[in-house]
Amino acid sequence: MAKNRRHFGIATVLIVICTFVVYWVLDSVLLKPAAAVLEAGPIDYLFDLHIWLIAFLFALVAVFMCYALIVFRARGDEGDGEHIHGNGTLEIIWTVVPCFVVIYFAWISTTMLIDLSRPNPDEYVVNAEGRQWSWLFTYPESGAVTADLVLPVDTPIRMDLTSDDVLHNFWVPEFRVKQDSVPGMVTHVRFTPTVIGEYVLRCAELCGTNHSGMLATVRVVSAEDFQLWQSEQLAQAQE
Amino acid sequence: MSLFTLGIARGLLGQVLGMVIGMLLTCAVRILLGWEAWAAEPAWTVGAVCSIIGFLLGVGSLDDWLKWTKGIPTPLHHGPPVDKPAWTRYFSVDYNHKVIGVQYTVWGILLLMVGGTVAMIFRTELARSGLQFLGLDLYNSFIGMHGMIMIFAILLGVGGMANYLVPLMIGADDMAFPRLNALGFWFNVPGSILLLLSLFIGGWDAGWTAYPPLSARGPIGYQLFFLGVFAIGLSSIVGSLNLFVTLLRMRPEGMSLFRMPIFCWAVFATSLIQLTATQLIGTSFLMVSVQRALGMGFFDPRGILGEVSPMVGGGDPVLFQHLFWFYSHPAVYIFVLPGLGIVSELLPVFSRKPLFGYKWIALSSMAIAIVGFLVWGHHMFVSGYNDILRIPFMYATLLVAIPTGVKFFSWLGTIWGGKVHFDTPMLFVLGAISVFLIGGLTGPILATVPTDFPLHDSYFVVGHFHATMFGGFVFPFFAALYYWFPKVTGRMYNETLGKIHFFIMTPAFWVQTLGQMGVGVMGMRRRIADYDPTLGAGQIENWQMAVTIAGFAIAFGVMLMLWNFFQSAEVGVAAGDNPWRSRSPEWQIPSPVPEHSFPAPLHVVGEPYDYGLADAGYVTTASTGDD
Ligand code: HEM
Ligand SMILES: [Cu+2]
Ligand SMILES: [Cu+2]
Repeated sequence: MAKNRRHFGIATVLIVICTFVVYWVLDSVLLKPAAAVLEAGPIDYLFDLHIWLIAFLFALVAVFMCYALIVFRARGDEGDGEHIHGNGTLEIIWTVVPCFVVIYFAWISTTMLIDLSRPNPDEYVVNAEGRQWSWLFTYPESGAVTADLVLPVDTPIRMDLTSDDVLHNFWVPEFRVKQDSVPGMVTHVRFTPTVIGEYVLRCAELCGTNHSGMLATVRVVSAEDFQLWQSEQLAQAQE
Repeated sequence: MSLFTLGIARGLLGQVLGMVIGMLLTCAVRILLGWEAWAAEPAWTVGAVCSIIGFLLGVGSLDDWLKWTKGIPTPLHHGPPVDKPAWTRYFSVDYNHKVIGVQYTVWGILLLMVGGTVAMIFRTELARSGLQFLGLDLYNSFIGMHGMIMIFAILLGVGGMANYLVPLMIGADDMAFPRLNALGFWFNVPGSILLLLSLFIGGWDAGWTAYPPLSARGPIGYQLFFLGVFAIGLSSIVGSLNLFVTLLRMRPEGMSLFRMPIFCWAVFATSLIQLTATQLIGTSFLMVSVQRALGMGFFDPRGILGEVSPMVGGGDPVLFQHLFWFYSHPAVYIFVLPGLGIVSELLPVFSRKPLFGYKWIALSSMAIAIVGFLVWGHHMFVSGYNDILRIPFMYATLLVAIPTGVKFFSWLGTIWGGKVHFDTPMLFVLGAISVFLIGGLTGPILATVPTDFPLHDSYFVVGHFHATMFGGFVFPFFAALYYWFPKVTGRMYNETLGKIHFFIMTPAFWVQTLGQMGVGVMGMRRRIADYDPTLGAGQIENWQMAVTIAGFAIAFGVMLMLWNFFQSAEVGVAAGDNPWRSRSPEWQIPSPVPEHSFPAPLHVVGEPYDYGLADAGYVTTASTGDD
């Protein structure tokens, strides 16, 4: 027992060190695109929480495993190990504790999800129709129809998605959120762009031959520029 | 001896004839109806159905039953064929579970190699951005092909392990239904041939998941793909039924459920899933097949089929996804539970210590199998189903992590305080734990909906499931091949080559899976023939190159293993009955196992994993008195 206690002491120190190392590795390999919407805040926060959990659990199992393999290696003798069949208390602990952890994660995700999908009375609606292999955007407020998406900054947006043929998916990596567009129904995705700039909309549901090339430009512009652009579109439409 | 003494040759001939007859039948019906004689899609579809039957008739898997209908008795022949060389039994219908186990395993490894080759082709394409040598359609066919061939291979590998090992582990002379067992194997051959053939009649471009509407409009290859899956599904159903009955009815005296070798529990849980969920993928693919062939728009919302049929509209593409994932999520546990069972089976042997928490491990397999039925909707978080559904599926999915965790901790408990030996099978078991850990830990981040938004349908998911499948199937399967090779052949494999294989493959796989996850987070979608080289601040190509190189390293490791086995089967040193000093029944009998495995019925007199307890027996074949 005393020997076990020393082993556990050493393992604990190693686990702490290993957790930070794994977190650092994951943080440098998993490079998220720059965030460009309000919703990226909570999503990236939860993502980071997960990475810490992954780092810790990985360290926990990996350190105990490697440690045991070194300390309890056979050293050329043909004898057997200790005759232990298990430990009910331990089993209950490692069933119940994770239970609380996952329920905690499910709970914060649920509240976050409800916030993310809550309708906003001021939201600006744009319709998007996916088709093999391009997008068609219509702006109900102005009646404009375009192949590229133009959005006003700092305005809550609701995309109403549908499809002309097969499944497609509306995804701008910088916007984080994602939603399938399905023929025969209208699906929604909500976000509030916060950074003026140009992004790429990438269809994220396999839709046939040119799925990889099903891209559209997304321009997030200032409110004034958006007004200007809208009136241009209208003028063009009237010609 | 003519070629056609081999059942498989007759089966292939039967498959070709069946195909031709089916096509002619279709033409005949069309002519009678006054339509144009030839229409490719119905002809190939009916042809494919008939080709499966043709194969089974040709190979002779239905012979005994057909004779029964005529009242001819067919005593069960157990042993090598009477007037042919002994090796021919591996290429023909044979009712010995050990032969069938080898047939499953070899066919599975062949498919693993075909699927791996396809993967290496498109990995080479992905090493650099831009399209180098594959066309868009071929690329799309290849990714689906790779996925489905690998799934077939895994199901065959699982079938191989289960068929060979379960009767031996419970001391049964054979499976409960030997004829059904053979049929279960032979379904796989025409099934996988149809799948491969589909590539040559246009392929299919919607990935292994084959979501409609895309799968309802693409090339004819879809029909062969659907029917191939249907055949494999039939194999799963009859195979799992057989294992179920065998495990419940054929255990020896004294072997209560909690005294079975732990692998048997894994097979029990797996069979439960296979027996009850496989029907759903069959149904979903059949419905798409019928939608294509007869214009019944089950998944067609508003008459995309247009002029083909007056029955348009009213269908729902999302419905398909529910049906499909109701099988295909539990299916991932079909792939991994037996492998995790192998890990639990081998750890005590090489740690010389009892399995820590036997009952917890056994019941965690059942818990995973049962909860696994309630989580299919986590593949559909952004499918457009009702937003509210996301929440219960999120909770249920996260709960699966708990029994999975129990397994990991119990494995650690098994190693702790043992006397660990590092033979090749044990190395692969440890590799499996490390890799499945990566796969399991990346599950919850996909299960919480807000973080699934950016990750869904990105390469992150590809990294996640390759880690789960390699850790849960490929590594344990290889461990099992090395571990039971001496039992099957009577000879030892080459240990040095085995270790080299391990030390090449394991780090390579870590690079591969981490690389896939990395490019996914950078914003690369899955299933794309070409990617944006500017992603990840321009780093993405380096990672792609690394993943491709890692893939080739893994392929090289696998070739090394196969070469090792071929060589050692000829020249390896005699292994002896029990080179691993295991307590399990199959190691108490000669290697290779004789035709009738056990000379006398087994008696279970103790616990399966009492390592470290002197004189504690598990099974004896000595008769204990009057029964
Ligand atoms: C801790 C347990 C696990 C959790 C919480 C989990 C969670 C998930 C989730 C939420 C997805 C959907 C991701 C998406 O498409 O956005 C997913 C995908 C997948 N998982 Fe897991 N998973 C776990 C373990 C496993 C295991 C053991 C396997 C076995 C092989 C597996 C195989 C797969 C596969 C094949 C897919 C992708 C299917 C596809 O779309 O092609 N997962 N997992
Ligand atoms: Cu697409
Ligand atoms: Cu799943």
